[in-house]
Amino acid sequence: MQERTVTISNRLGLHARAAARLVRRASQFNSNVTLLRKDTGETADGKSILSVLLLAASLGTSLIIKTEGDDEERAVNALVELVEQKFGEELSDGVF
Amino acid sequence: MASSSVIRSRDVKLQGVPASPGVAAGRVLRLDERGRHQFYYIGVSAAQARMEVRRLREALQEARAQLQEIKVRLAEELGYEHSFILDAHLLMLEDKRLIEELNHEITTRRVNAEWAVRSVADRIISAYNKVNDLYLRERTSDLEDVATRLLTILSGHDKFDLSKLDQDVIIVANNIWPSTVAELDFKHVLGFATNTGGLTSHSAIIARSLGIPAVVGLHEVTRLAKTGNVIVIDGAEGCVILRPTKPVLTAYLGKRKREAGGRTRPAADAAQAAETTDGVRITLRANVELPTEIESLALFGAEGIGLYRSEFLFLNRLPELPGEDEQYEVYRKLALATGDAGANIRVFDLGGDKLALGGFEAEQNPALGLRGMRLSLKVEHVFRTQLRAILRANLHGHLRVVLPLISTITELREAKRIIADVKQEMAEARVEHNAELPIGVMIEVPAAAMMGDVFAREADFLSVGTNDLIQYMLAVDRANENVAHLYQPLHPAILRTIADLVRVAEAEQVPLELCGEMAADPLQAIALIGLGIRTLSLVPGSIPLVKNAIRSVELERVRALLKEAMKLTSSTEVEELLASELPRQAPRFFAAWSSRA
Repeated sequence: MQERTVTISNRLGLHARAAARLVRRASQFNSNVTLLRKDTGETADGKSILSVLLLAASLGTSLIIKTEGDDEERAVNALVELVEQKFGEELSDGVF
Repeated sequence: MASSSVIRSRDVKLQGVPASPGVAAGRVLRLDERGRHQFYYIGVSAAQARMEVRRLREALQEARAQLQEIKVRLAEELGYEHSFILDAHLLMLEDKRLIEELNHEITTRRVNAEWAVRSVADRIISAYNKVNDLYLRERTSDLEDVATRLLTILSGHDKFDLSKLDQDVIIVANNIWPSTVAELDFKHVLGFATNTGGLTSHSAIIARSLGIPAVVGLHEVTRLAKTGNVIVIDGAEGCVILRPTKPVLTAYLGKRKREAGGRTRPAADAAQAAETTDGVRITLRANVELPTEIESLALFGAEGIGLYRSEFLFLNRLPELPGEDEQYEVYRKLALATGDAGANIRVFDLGGDKLALGGFEAEQNPALGLRGMRLSLKVEHVFRTQLRAILRANLHGHLRVVLPLISTITELREAKRIIADVKQEMAEARVEHNAELPIGVMIEVPAAAMMGDVFAREADFLSVGTNDLIQYMLAVDRANENVAHLYQPLHPAILRTIADLVRVAEAEQVPLELCGEMAADPLQAIALIGLGIRTLSLVPGSIPLVKNAIRSVELERVRALLKEAMKLTSSTEVEELLASELPRQAPRFFAAWSSRA
């Protein structure tokens, strides 16, 4: 099992579009993907958009990404990268 | 769609926010928030439950197919960037957890598929409603949209195809959803009446751009109106009358007839010039926000685009931004469609309410906050991307740039410096572009109006944005029902300001245009030309009507009338003078107009 901690840093958090991106990315791998909110302990299936949305992970939330399966390392790396890139939706100046 | 004539006529008048002008009368098509159709609880046997599971699976398939199709259509009509919202919807339909829960609901509780969809959706929605994050909480409307689609498919017998309406209808809904807008057959939609929404809501924007009357913010119209009921919408007054009595209906039909060929349908003579009886030519240009509107410009007789609100490109896809190439495609389309008449592109005017709409942190006082040009200067790279796209597209036509919400000359100078810099960069990088790009200033802040002469010396043209100018001058938010009555376009202060701007523009020999809803009201439009305005930009749907008004007046007499009006002390007096004098001067148009219900 792989496990990495990330902080949600895009302004709107895991809203519909970011969640859709995450779910699409997670679904590309065989491994099971679980997200765990560090503050509340709530977990979500990373391949279910409803589950991910229910986490309501807004800006600043710490999440543990857990992957388990034959491609668990690639999966965790891909998801961490997506979160760190703020789901590709942010610009540097902080207004948008 | 069964018509229910059994309900007795009795005028039920509801007041809302006027969102798109014009009168429409017709039968209600109510789109319920809780699904477009009735659905019932049915207990089923174990064998039947397996059938229900299969029905559900087929409905899910059908829903996905429909959404894929809508996505293509939405991308074609509004641009690819607007179709993203459906991506989340598609994922919901593929969601393992949702499907498992639905199957579980059917097999263990032994209920019909419809009931399972409704109860599972309700459960998830109530879970979302507990989430302490406004933006995420709003996603319940996406889930509701998806659930509604499934319920519609499951209800089978009444497959209601919004894209194939067989009769004219007036849409009554809590709100108009993006996917509904993409599906509607607008040939048969006479108007909108919605519970929620303000002037900048999606439904209001769509209605205005399509030239169909709309009233929003009616609170309980969906509760009171039933599909098949007769309803009258007065988009100018912002009211609707439900199940009107005969005399009331007749009065409104008369009013509509007088407006016919005006607001809602392009007149046969739309292509004729707007020339007063004494031969003064007025230019009528179009205010545009959606790419789809561009095609209808010729139909309405618009001479180019006086205001392209580029923020619509941005608004529907926040927090992502449209790239240079994507913007270039839209601006090139504008350039090609408007030819010599050209198009004024207003730099994205996000901020205030629109930023809030995009889910951004609300400012304490957004109308006075970081918006318009202030925002563009703050996010200079976004401004630069937009400029590059415009400069490239300008190879194909005559584009101009308008800078919104300028309050100091420094902002204009700063913007001009950036524009010059972008041009130089492009020249050095040998990026093909047309640097002949006039820069205009929107006069919509009292300070800019007072300093009109200064701006006229440094800008290539001035564009008076009356909607905001009136709001800022009179300190009135016209969407606030407590003070909306104080929003008075014919306030003497406004007339004086406009007259003064005409004077300084003439003195500095700088073109002056005016855009805003004032230009779309025949009486006010005539007042504006009487003050000396020669170029008006307005919603395309109102152009034929205003053209007819202009063609019925003699400018010299109108000028004299406005001179009298300028001596008056209140908006009411001005209105009374114009309403009594114009029909005398131009009975061909105004006698009918002023006797409106």
